[in-house]
Amino acid sequence: MHEMGIAVEIYRAARDAVRDHGSGRLETVTVSIGELSAVEPELLRFAWEAVVAGGPDAGATLSIRWCPADQHCPACGEAKDRSDGSWLRLCPDCGNPLSINGGTELDVEQVIFVPEETT
Amino acid sequence: MKRVISVRKRALAANDERAGSLRERFAAAGTLVVNLISSPGSGKTSLLEATVRRLDPGLRCAVLEGDVATQRDAERIRAAGAPAHQILTGGACHLDARQIVTGLEEAGFTDLDILFIENVGNLICPTSYDLGEDFKVALLSVTEGDDKPFKYPAIFSRAEVTVVTKIDLLAHVAFDLPAVEEQVRTLNPSARIVRTSATTGEGIDRWCSLLTERLRAKGAATA
Repeated sequence: MHEMGIAVEIYRAARDAVRDHGSGRLETVTVSIGELSAVEPELLRFAWEAVVAGGPDAGATLSIRWCPADQHCPACGEAKDRSDGSWLRLCPDCGNPLSINGGTELDVEQVIFVPEETT
Repeated sequence: MKRVISVRKRALAANDERAGSLRERFAAAGTLVVNLISSPGSGKTSLLEATVRRLDPGLRCAVLEGDVATQRDAERIRAAGAPAHQILTGGACHLDARQIVTGLEEAGFTDLDILFIENVGNLICPTSYDLGEDFKVALLSVTEGDDKPFKYPAIFSRAEVTVVTKIDLLAHVAFDLPAVEEQVRTLNPSARIVRTSATTGEGIDRWCSLLTERLRAKGAATA
């Protein structure tokens, strides 16, 4: 359950971003999570709720943008689907290794906050 | 009025920055750093005991041991003849770069040729955390079952070396070794696979040669 540690890092990054722009209460933090990042979105949401609970940002939303890996077969020249839950990196049709791009995202993309003076 | 800030930053940027500084430090010192990852009980400490006994005694090696609790592993490594420092994570399922920085300060290791980091026993969480290592090693014991590379693909695709441990027990368990090696190569075509037994000593020479080759290559690159 390393999602808890990752949720804490996301929270720190979001707080740093708010501090750089003044002060206020976090409303929504948007993150990109790649399918190859070894992070479970449901666990991350659960961890996020625990991280913000009881603090000044209680109730802040974590919005997760799921990023599938893009894979295609250099031999067939086509994009190939991988069967659900499988990490096989071979083309299901010709057996050549697939070329994989992306899917490793684990990024804080955007922070929305309500500045202090209007709260 | 709400404000929207574009951040575009790795969630683990703080860890990655610390790992980057560690990597620079290790490069300047010519220290090879190996991050060992496996499930609990697959034989990380036993492999390290056999390794420090077998490596050239002229090489300065040390071990950072990550565990949730107890000093037991560090004591085992010291008994095998190498300096060791225990990092206790107090429940956390992986080591992060900050703990390596602090662990090195507390341990006072200097002028090392090889630093082994034994991560907390877990095949999932340690995968995401860069510790400034030269490469990750995934261990898989024959008693764990031969479907593990495909079940835990993240670590087996990121580990440069997979060590199949407890090979002396192969006759007693249903473990399809060629199938496992094929799974590992599917996930990571350039992976090196070493079969070892810390009990009989099989494969330990090959594993130690791999380490000394990598150490030489690193020395040549930084010289």
